[in-house]
Amino acid sequence: MENLLNHIVRSGAEIVIIDITGVRTVDTLVAQHLIKTVSAARLMGADCIISGIRPQIAQTIVHLGLQLDVTSKATMADAFALALKRTGQVMSRAQIKPT
Amino acid sequence: MEQIPILKVGRCLLVSIQIDMHDKLAMALQDDLTQKLVETRARGVLIDISALDLVDSFIGRMLSNIAAMARVLDTQTVVVGMRPQVAITLVELGLTLPGIRTALDVDRGLALINKLIDEPEGDSGARGAH
Amino acid sequence: MHVERTSTLEVRTSEDVVRVRQEVRNRSGAVGFSLVDQTKFVTAASEIARNTIDHGGGGLARIETITVPGKRGLRLVFEDQGPGIADIALAMQDGYSTAGGLGMGMPGAKRLSNEFYVESVPGKGTKVTLVRWKAT
Repeated sequence: MENLLNHIVRSGAEIVIIDITGVRTVDTLVAQHLIKTVSAARLMGADCIISGIRPQIAQTIVHLGLQLDVTSKATMADAFALALKRTGQVMSRAQIKPT
Repeated sequence: MEQIPILKVGRCLLVSIQIDMHDKLAMALQDDLTQKLVETRARGVLIDISALDLVDSFIGRMLSNIAAMARVLDTQTVVVGMRPQVAITLVELGLTLPGIRTALDVDRGLALINKLIDEPEGDSGARGAH
Repeated sequence: MHVERTSTLEVRTSEDVVRVRQEVRNRSGAVGFSLVDQTKFVTAASEIARNTIDHGGGGLARIETITVPGKRGLRLVFEDQGPGIADIALAMQDGYSTAGGLGMGMPGAKRLSNEFYVESVPGKGTKVTLVRWKAT
């Protein structure tokens, strides 16, 4: 958690995408840690987007009765697109002229 | 007793807390800010806590009180520069600072306040944890 | 358990709370706590020091560097001769949103410490002990 938060300071990131694609199971401890990390980042002035939540994990979180009050996206690409939108940026295709 | 300086920057009041405040000083700051807000009719309050290595429940309450009082005066409050270890501790303490917007630094805080003043419905800045 | 070093501070004024914070900060650094652990423990100390003044009528803070085989830590003991806490269990509930409640600092301070003990006799006084060990 500390690493992530220190990184926010160093990089000046306003948005943090936390990708949990590699997380197989989420128990109360893991979920609480995630919630605490998101809360801390917010207090510092950075918003979080979670990507890679699989249906089973979403189910577990609901089943555990936890409030994961943060925007989640299924894929990193979706999360990244949302982050760009939130920071008022746009990616567009460049015109490559034939030489 | 020392006094914490309050500066007017554009439409905002800027407070930069540089010292370990004792409770009486925190209360004095709260009162000072309220008074200056009314006097100057500032539209925003920016509180820079980047020099604070500690925020306990008293300071947390002070920040919440300032934000609540500012809201009554239709003023935006943004707290900037919270250090990671302070954020982690506040979360552990269970202090969520509801109703307080936060930003990474003074520049971004000012940008956020100006945006909030000009677009009261717009809402993309980071919020205090809930 | 071995007590390596002790310092005692008066806890009566709001300036004393600042002094307690600074002493706990220095001692936490000397014991080798990480920055996050230092911040947590100093914050816990601040909460209890304030309680000692607001609810205990003022008292003393004893800051001790302690060792047991294998680890080193810091123990803080806050004592007052105040009215005491009638219902410790109630005081330990998370009541942050209630204004002026005794419960405000204590559950938080407990979460920020490794060990937390409260002894209180209504009419006699209160003693709160907090311990934090250096993470190995």
